[in-house]
Amino acid sequence: MAQRVAIESWDPDYGVPSTEHTEETDVEIDVGVEVPEDRWGPIPARTEQRPEALLFIDGVRRIDANAWLDDGRIPVRQGMFASFAAGAVRVVEQAHVDRVEVRRTLFAPGNPEAFVTRGGTYEPFGVATPGADALSSALQERLGDLEVEVASRVADNADLVVVDGPLYRRAHLPRTIGYVKTHRVQHLKGRPAETIAVLAAGERTPVFRFRTSWTRHAWYLRLPGPKAHAWSGVVRMEATADLALDETLAMANLTAGVLPRYASEPHKDPRAPQNLYPIAGLERELRRRLGDAVYVDRALRAAAG
Amino acid sequence: MPEALDTLGVGRVLGTDDATPLSFWVALGPDQYLQLDDVVALERLLPDGDTVRIYGLVTEVRARHEGARFDSDVFLIEDGILPAEVSQAAQILATRFEPEVFVPPLPGQPVYKAEGDERDMALYFDGMEKRLPAGLTRDDEPLYANLEFLDGSRGAHVNISGISGVATKTTYATFLLYSLFRSGVLGGEAINTKALIYNVKGEDLLFLDRDNRELEDEDRDRYQRLGLPPGAFDSVDFYASPRRDDPIAAPDVSTRQKGVTSYFWTLSEFCAEGLLPFVFADAEDDRQQYTIIIHNVVAKLRDAAEGLPDGGIAIDGETITDFESLARMIADRLQDDLTSADWAGRAIGQGTVNAFVRRLFGAVPHLKHLIRGNVPNPDRHRIQRQAQVTVVDTHNLNDRAKRFVVGVTLRRAFDEKERAGQQRPLLFVVLDELNKYAPREGSSPIKEILVDMSERGRSLGIILIGAQQTASEVERRIVANSSLRVVGRLDAAEAGRDEYGFLPAVHRQRSTILKPGTMILSQPELPIPLVTQFPFPAWATRASEAAPAKGNDDGDDPFRGLS
Repeated sequence: MAQRVAIESWDPDYGVPSTEHTEETDVEIDVGVEVPEDRWGPIPARTEQRPEALLFIDGVRRIDANAWLDDGRIPVRQGMFASFAAGAVRVVEQAHVDRVEVRRTLFAPGNPEAFVTRGGTYEPFGVATPGADALSSALQERLGDLEVEVASRVADNADLVVVDGPLYRRAHLPRTIGYVKTHRVQHLKGRPAETIAVLAAGERTPVFRFRTSWTRHAWYLRLPGPKAHAWSGVVRMEATADLALDETLAMANLTAGVLPRYASEPHKDPRAPQNLYPIAGLERELRRRLGDAVYVDRALRAAAG
Repeated sequence: MPEALDTLGVGRVLGTDDATPLSFWVALGPDQYLQLDDVVALERLLPDGDTVRIYGLVTEVRARHEGARFDSDVFLIEDGILPAEVSQAAQILATRFEPEVFVPPLPGQPVYKAEGDERDMALYFDGMEKRLPAGLTRDDEPLYANLEFLDGSRGAHVNISGISGVATKTTYATFLLYSLFRSGVLGGEAINTKALIYNVKGEDLLFLDRDNRELEDEDRDRYQRLGLPPGAFDSVDFYASPRRDDPIAAPDVSTRQKGVTSYFWTLSEFCAEGLLPFVFADAEDDRQQYTIIIHNVVAKLRDAAEGLPDGGIAIDGETITDFESLARMIADRLQDDLTSADWAGRAIGQGTVNAFVRRLFGAVPHLKHLIRGNVPNPDRHRIQRQAQVTVVDTHNLNDRAKRFVVGVTLRRAFDEKERAGQQRPLLFVVLDELNKYAPREGSSPIKEILVDMSERGRSLGIILIGAQQTASEVERRIVANSSLRVVGRLDAAEAGRDEYGFLPAVHRQRSTILKPGTMILSQPELPIPLVTQFPFPAWATRASEAAPAKGNDDGDDPFRGLS
């Protein structure tokens, strides 16, 4: 029996579990990478540096509809139609959206079929286990893959590649750092933690090693902006642990010299200053490229019949 | 789709603004541009397989940042911090549908710059059998007006509005005349076609017959592009008012010594042709009671005056050789109990007579050098339209005298045309300051002639090229009867008035920033007015520009009048 699709009439936003990378709590930290723990203190930016080419990579996703797939088997399987996109902003003299990839995918357990609508074809993606959580994390994973795909296509001639979010699964990209805006858990204690609190705008902490399920180097940086509390404007950078220490330090210094310039202002971005202007602009463009949600929904319903 | 169109694509109809049959927006492709007044074309395929070609004119072009939300984002974008793209779009007002199926173009359809035949189609030039070069676009492509709407076949008359000094109304009017005479559009008739031009300000028009020595090669090229040989008018007669209190009536001009004849009317013409009403041609005269007296006096003068040599008259044996004496004589007759009933008419109150007399004497100082019987060979001072162009200079006259001169000459031209009974050859009359001669309010003998001319001139072959600062102050019928409407620089308040309803909003706005030499031309066939530039005059407009005269000037005998 051919696959039949019924679109869930509820708005897909209802009951969507948050699958942002939950920060792992089982961590191992070595703060003595750059300086010993007792000599921790803010490291000011050298001078403002302007790399010749700078890249920002980000992705967005949208669940277009939840659906029920019926191909004669019991139980009926829950599927999810999603659009997601990844892209890059290249800053040379001017900032331009360099490359955008958009995907439309039908996530469902088993082997779903491609689903054709007048708004585009949803390529099938089989999920191993049933349930909304599995669908959602499959989407997150596919988006991550797409970001890597975009990044590896454009990263060749950039001096620094900033990927929005942790570096997880992207550590192999050259000259790439992960850019983490939110901090659910404070990993550092004692003097290092105090160092973060006293960072001035543009200053970074020394580099430390950070191991959860994988290992990377990291450092904190404070962006310019009003200092409402000890952590306002603080972001965490992640770089691959495979890099030699001097290269890691050079990259850390580069971020401290470069990124404050791109910090956003509160009246323009509710996530200021951490949500960097190029990333905010890229996200807007990516959302636009996902297409009009109402139109896509209509196309899906029309195709489902 | 024609091959030419494929190579000239500039953009696509955009879908974020409504596309309607009359107006739509085009997003421009990368490295493409359209400027105001560019002509574009596109094709739409209908469901039944037919193709509609849509032509239009660019009336607005805009550029904006896509990706910016705040005005200040521009700084971030310029500093390379925020990603954004510049998008450009042009608004098109449709001029023509071929065939006439009024459908909107569809978003996404490619739009092309129309050139050559396509452009002619878009601007209806293809259907104009007789094309009068009317100016150039900014990129020096010729623009035409349909002669059929000027020569009386389907319409007639030109009306030009614009601020004095900046709008170059008179220059454009003379350019149109030059184009009429020299473009060949009139064919064999060009030789017999005449023009009567009133020079109301300065002495600008006294050098029409001289080449302009400040004409650059570039301007010559522009004439060539219009199919006009650059040069001066071939055949021009200049008439100027005589100097006041000059017994030999030398012309009252300062910049040109030769080839100008002074004009005046003899007392016998004044009486025989009944010119007295033109002395009372002011707006205030219209409201007075004494008009009845005017008609009686006219009749009386026609009967009683006997012509004398040199233009004087004898009434009841009394010889009169100047206007002042005539006025005094008329006053005497009106105020003398014995003759007043005869001259003023019955039951005319003394107050009315006095008002008339006061007014008549008020005119004497301004008119006495124009109406006289004391100069030998007065026939030489009669305005004759022998040459192709006759310039009548009135710039040294006060308003009352100007009205007299314009009124009398127009009436004479009109009467002659009416008597001839033939539409051809045409007579073009160029008159600036129409608001003085045909104001919206009131009536006067001149206004009647002008209204008559605008209504019947088309069939009589007398074409008015009228100009004024503000069309809102001119009699509606005169403006309404003009097929060609031209607007130069307008005052912003004026541009908003109903009289300029033929201008789309964008053109109204543009009319306030037009430079000298640029006009907006509206003609009946085109739904949208064209912004047109005309080349620098190839004829001199002041003494310093005048190249030396070619060959013999007529009447340049410096001793004339002294014999």
